Amino acid sequence: MPKYMFVYRGGHEDMEHSSPEQMQQVMQMWMDWIQGGVEAGWMVDGGDALKPGGAIVNSDLSITDGPFAESKELVGGYSMVEAPDLAAAIEIAKGSPMPKSGGTVEVRELPNLGKQE
Amino acid sequence: MAKFMFLQRGGCESPPEMTPEQMEAGMKAWMDWVNNGTEEGWLLDPGSPLSGTGALVKPDLTVIDGPFTESKELVGGYSIVEAADLAEACELAKQTMKLAGGGKIEVREFAVFDQ
Amino acid sequence: MKPATNQLVEHFFRHESANLVAVLTRAFGIRRINLVEDMVQVAMLEAMHAWKQRGVPENPAAWIHRVAKNRILDYLRREKTYEKAITLSGQSIDEQESIVDQWLEEEQLPDSLLRMIFVCCHPSLERKTQIALTLKTLCGFGISEIARGLLLPNETVKKRIQRAKNSLAESNVRIELPSADQLTQRLDVVHDVLYLMFNEGYSTSHGTEPIRDDICEEAARLCYLLCESPFSAPTTKALLALLLFHAARFDARTDEAGTIILLEDQDRSKWDHRLICAAQSWLAKSKSDQPTTFHLEAAIAMQHCIAPSVEETNWDTIVILYSRLLQLRESPIYTLNRAIAVGQAGHTREAMAQLQSLQNHEEMKHYLLLDCALARMYELDGNTAKAIDSYLIALPKAVAPHEKEVLEKKLRKLTE
Repeated sequence: MPKYMFVYRGGHEDMEHSSPEQMQQVMQMWMDWIQGGVEAGWMVDGGDALKPGGAIVNSDLSITDGPFAESKELVGGYSMVEAPDLAAAIEIAKGSPMPKSGGTVEVRELPNLGKQE
Repeated sequence: MAKFMFLQRGGCESPPEMTPEQMEAGMKAWMDWVNNGTEEGWLLDPGSPLSGTGALVKPDLTVIDGPFTESKELVGGYSIVEAADLAEACELAKQTMKLAGGGKIEVREFAVFDQ
Repeated sequence: MKPATNQLVEHFFRHESANLVAVLTRAFGIRRINLVEDMVQVAMLEAMHAWKQRGVPENPAAWIHRVAKNRILDYLRREKTYEKAITLSGQSIDEQESIVDQWLEEEQLPDSLLRMIFVCCHPSLERKTQIALTLKTLCGFGISEIARGLLLPNETVKKRIQRAKNSLAESNVRIELPSADQLTQRLDVVHDVLYLMFNEGYSTSHGTEPIRDDICEEAARLCYLLCESPFSAPTTKALLALLLFHAARFDARTDEAGTIILLEDQDRSKWDHRLICAAQSWLAKSKSDQPTTFHLEAAIAMQHCIAPSVEETNWDTIVILYSRLLQLRESPIYTLNRAIAVGQAGHTREAMAQLQSLQNHEEMKHYLLLDCALARMYELDGNTAKAIDSYLIALPKAVAPHEKEVLEKKLRKLTE
């Protein structure tokens, strides 16, 4: 079955003003979704969140700052799921906590490199 | 030690014409990189390229269909490495860049860390 | 790092952020409370992001403590304020760090929390400010949660809390426990704050927002913390008993639609008998030669809680208890409740006379419950027409929609 990488961007915009209780609720929503996917079998790897900031290595091997935390395009995290096709993967993405918190999910297929699983 | 993700961006829009020999050399270089990194312990997951097909699910649940071949910022692949800090991770990314031969690599630390 | 579980204890973030604010403010001083709160918020956010996909680490509290402590130390070092801070406190960085670590140990936490209770209930602050500050600092509530719970605009709550912090910082209030000669006086303030905080959450005139139950729970939690400390007085235990007797009747207070159910109509099997037992045992431990209003109110609450029905309630004892309350403190509310008990004990005419004399009382003129009590007495007396009249007088005094609902329900029942 093809594997898809979910690339999470944006969302949780106003979290710095949220209360500890709200943070716990958001976290629980994520953990429940991932747990549900693991049990149902389509969640291959719940993945991780990435810290904002970092560095860019350019093709001339120079290093620049970025990406910037304010950017809406900033990749905030990823997960790996398994689905029969792109349409099914999109349906899974719609059920993720990301859209609910105002962010986007980019669904990207991992090419089958002929590796034996 | 901290975990970092390499996000390869751009660079693969129009793959240059390559002879089978060049392709084989390229493949070998990547495999050496994987073997090396795995042996030395810093390569936690060689990752994968990502195909151009895909979709974007927006907050209102509308879907924009790929492929997204136009974007220079498109994530074309990822790997996961371990390094002492961001600077060391960047050094590892430079090696990777020599193999990728174009585009850029975004180096990002994982949120899970041992303080 | 293997995730130990995908489920955190309820209110983990809320309580951990409160623990951290107490310990770090104690370490770095009341003047830095805003910085402490900001850094704790950063640490909580980091925890949320780090755990939401990977799961909770084995010792989540230690993880958050470490991050928060490091964030604040990083900040102070960067600002070069650290050198100044240590000259003030006379300790080196290493010493300071290891003291913070010790204070964050589970068995040492209550000490910092208790100190913070006395800071938040500092006598120099107004009562309303003490409540808001306690909810923010010691209970880890957000501004908007406090605003919703207390039915106040966000801005008001924010300003109130900031003013309190400024005033504590200006007078450089120390994060310490009161001295022996001040203890009783300071403890009285804390009791009042916790009692009023509980009432804010419990009061039916504020609706049935779930956050209000949390406020009650927090008041009881802090009171329990105090009871378990060497600083508790018999009054503290009586207060805890009182709060628990009330809390035991939480779930029976409203129906599925959130409509208030009056004591006489409540399904008593829905009362939490474990809480009633706990309350009784605290009340037993609260014995004192000088019973306070909390002792007497708790004793009255107990009479209600142990009675199988309204009719089988020991109203005579309740009348005596209210009489003793009135000896301690004149209050038209106590008089009103005593009169109801007198009526329920079978002396309806006497009760009516007492209630009618209350009608001239300035405070009671617009008090809906007085008319309701009169109506109830007419009902007990079999005078339905008069009872309806009294409920009709009460009706326009009802402010909250659910108060109107209760009255209309009563009227419907009587006119059937």
